[in-house]
Amino acid sequence: MTTTQERRLEDTVLGSAAGRFYRHQNFGTGLLGGVGLGFLLWLLGEYTVNNNPNYGTDMVVTLTMLGWVIGFNLGVGTFNAVLHWILGHDQTKEDELYAAGVGQGKSRYWKYCTDHKVVGTQYLILVFVLFFIGGTLAMMIRTQLLTPNSSFLSPQTYNAIVSIHGMTMIIATIIMVSGPFANFIMPIMIGAKDMAFPRLNAMSIWVIVSAVPPLMATFFVGGVNAGWTTYAPLSVQDGPAMVCFAFTIITFVVSVTVAGINTLITVLTMRAPGMTFSRMPVFVWASVIGGALGLYAMPAFLLDMTMMVSDHATGTSFFVSAQGGSGWLWENVFWIMGHPEVYVILIPPVGALMEVLSTFSRKPMFAYKMIIGAMIGIAGLSIMVWAHHMFTTGWAPDLAGPFMLTTELISIPTGIIFLCAIGTMWRGSNWVRLPMYFGFLFIWNFIVGGVTGIYLSDVPADDYFHGNMFVTAHFHYTLLGGAMIAATAGLCYWFPKVTGRMLDEKTGRAAFWLIAIGFQVTYLAQFYEGFKGMPRRVANYDPIFAPENVVSSIGAYVLMAGWIVLLYALVSSWRSGSIAPANPWSAKSLEWQTLTPVPLENFLEDVTVVNDPYGYGERAELQVHAVFGSTSDAHHGEGH
Amino acid sequence: MSSNHNHGIHHATYQSIDEEVAPGLHKQLHRQHVRGTLYVWALLTVGGILAGLYLTPILMPHMNSPEGRAAIETVKVFTVAAAPVAALVCAVAIYSLINSRHRSHLDSPPVDGPPLRGNALASGTWLVVSTLLVVFLLFWGLTEWASQQVVHADALQVNVTGQQWLWTYSYPAQTVILPGAKTLTVPKAVDATTLNLPINVPVQFNVTSKDVTHGFWPTQLGIQGDANPGVNDVLRTTPDHLGKFQVRCSQICGLYHAYMYTQASVIPDSAFTAWIAQGDAGRVLTSAKITGGVR
Repeated sequence: MTTTQERRLEDTVLGSAAGRFYRHQNFGTGLLGGVGLGFLLWLLGEYTVNNNPNYGTDMVVTLTMLGWVIGFNLGVGTFNAVLHWILGHDQTKEDELYAAGVGQGKSRYWKYCTDHKVVGTQYLILVFVLFFIGGTLAMMIRTQLLTPNSSFLSPQTYNAIVSIHGMTMIIATIIMVSGPFANFIMPIMIGAKDMAFPRLNAMSIWVIVSAVPPLMATFFVGGVNAGWTTYAPLSVQDGPAMVCFAFTIITFVVSVTVAGINTLITVLTMRAPGMTFSRMPVFVWASVIGGALGLYAMPAFLLDMTMMVSDHATGTSFFVSAQGGSGWLWENVFWIMGHPEVYVILIPPVGALMEVLSTFSRKPMFAYKMIIGAMIGIAGLSIMVWAHHMFTTGWAPDLAGPFMLTTELISIPTGIIFLCAIGTMWRGSNWVRLPMYFGFLFIWNFIVGGVTGIYLSDVPADDYFHGNMFVTAHFHYTLLGGAMIAATAGLCYWFPKVTGRMLDEKTGRAAFWLIAIGFQVTYLAQFYEGFKGMPRRVANYDPIFAPENVVSSIGAYVLMAGWIVLLYALVSSWRSGSIAPANPWSAKSLEWQTLTPVPLENFLEDVTVVNDPYGYGERAELQVHAVFGSTSDAHHGEGH
Repeated sequence: MSSNHNHGIHHATYQSIDEEVAPGLHKQLHRQHVRGTLYVWALLTVGGILAGLYLTPILMPHMNSPEGRAAIETVKVFTVAAAPVAALVCAVAIYSLINSRHRSHLDSPPVDGPPLRGNALASGTWLVVSTLLVVFLLFWGLTEWASQQVVHADALQVNVTGQQWLWTYSYPAQTVILPGAKTLTVPKAVDATTLNLPINVPVQFNVTSKDVTHGFWPTQLGIQGDANPGVNDVLRTTPDHLGKFQVRCSQICGLYHAYMYTQASVIPDSAFTAWIAQGDAGRVLTSAKITGGVR
């Protein structure tokens, strides 16, 4: 497509229907809409239901949050196409191209935009923001715990921070790969022009953006007292903050569900000719499996949180045992979501990591079918292990054995992932660039996380470790040291494709060492606290735990410094790094075979896949992943 | 077939350099790699096993009951069992890092690695070994779990009640018949805020809560159970070592969760009887007193 053609297209798109209000919608109008409708419904609540002595405040907060979420999405334009259709209009071609961001430069990143690459970038920025918030809260926790009887934070503030740190990080890690990379990279990897449902895709990002302010609002309405797991009845006892918290989750689940369906349908229907299931990159499989598992897990979260709002705002008693409810009901439904959810977090980054290992070892994926089987096996088993979080709750003691069995069985497919990782690295022409640094770190961290996990799967040992810092250290080793480090490997790997710039590797390596060392110090010290018997989620502790808490806090500061240095490297390279070639890693998968920056609809020519993308070291004909036909009408397709 | 979009340069294939040009070199190289990795593996395995055996008892506190010592034993045994597998993964990673010749070059390596797409023997062995390990872990866990489910004919009843942010221990009036025709008598019900247990007497905790869920965790007894409102959670153990430790709340329960701990002691029979005889006057603090002290 020539520049003149491009400009003419832009003129047509921008000229048609220019001046209509929906051409001016962006994040700012979203904020206006959200605050406006939130305020209106707050007023409505104040004058109608507020006088209810038991639930008045919670009802008003429920209405306000509802107003915020709907208002924000109306304001930003999430429902434009649907509203058009309801009003009997259809979207013109120009409307669609406008929504895809044509001719709007950088301002499209602040808008409802259907281009999957824009959505992916928006997710990436949101993930940075969430990690920054969650990380800052973590620093406040570690500062409080620096000394045994610290009064840096009040117990109420401390509990609120612990809860919101947890939930912010859970949300951030769920979307850290499935948001940016399953959106930006995955469709290109399968040779698609976009996601199957571009509007749902754009919706998923703005809905999740609207979920964040309610989470932060919890701090201003009393704070969530009960940790991110918000066990009932404590969470029912909590004030309106719990309603805001539940609204965050409900909104978040809508987003994740929409995104998961989109990923699934995209991979099922939009693959380029020749992209058979057995030629699909492992990352694509990981995105599909993670997305499908999310579709299983998230409805339970929605249900739990809806019942929670109901208990708060209407006086039902799903979780209040004094009125016939049950805290165990909450715990069960929560972990029916919660355990699959950790694999919703973990599987996509592991997929990304396997791509990194293959590319930088210059070797084919080792035991490709086994790793896909392992990911499916993990997903399948993960829905049957939830009660290992409840070994000490007293619920169903006779099921201790079966849940020990399913939990320990998961280490078989998890072991296969290790086998495939080391098989891929074995005798490779190791090219140790920044993504690979994080690859090595992942392997170490995930080993530690995995081995400590088997202690916890054992009921007699769990009777000691449950609810103590050992558990905290364990899941930070798996989710931060494992999943998030793997995601960072993926980020460094795909950075040149996403931003068009090379990542400043020197600064990146400095960040790596701070992260690697800070992480070990922080969490090895916490393992020691757990061994010694320090409980989790405490604002103060027995002075016998003082030395290891100081060590852990210092480690945490180093870790945070590492992330900030990495963030600096990312931002400065994004703004002014050297221009990236289309394929800086000489990789074979499709995203590296198209131009950088990636054009609208991704490929200028038709793509036909002929082999899997792992033909390193193979005969010449097996090294070719795809051929590109230069049929002249390739880019005049039907669009969405 | 060729395309201007395919920027990847086709590297010389591994075989052309290795197997075809210098037959025999391939096997020799392979053997060298295996030997190098095995050295690293053996070193790490020994390290892991020694750490499991000798570090665990240092890291964990002295335990006052068989259940507590079972937790230590489990960590020991599982570490030893996991060491060879974890060491293998680390060994391959470390070896490939040491052996890497293109560590930080900006250009991609001139030669790809060998195109190994799987190895039935390696995968099969891995699967069998990991399955056997899981069977062992399960067997170990279930055996220990079963041994802890033994219900003694007679046990000292202690009713544990959690409330925000306080534990109360109630010893109902009872006579416990011990092996050897000995008896232990609590003549009159006693409430206390410290937990005292006679040595070598089976004890049954009946754990419940007055408000929200708490976690009853007598740390060095190796047992733990939630205190749920409206539920009686039964925990059993037989403390067999004298000593002091703390009962800590292991389930976040609101504002002063961190302060919800009490002293516990395993004491001789005679001391226990004497302590019980003091009655409960002045022993039970109110919640208000506790939090008042904290603020």
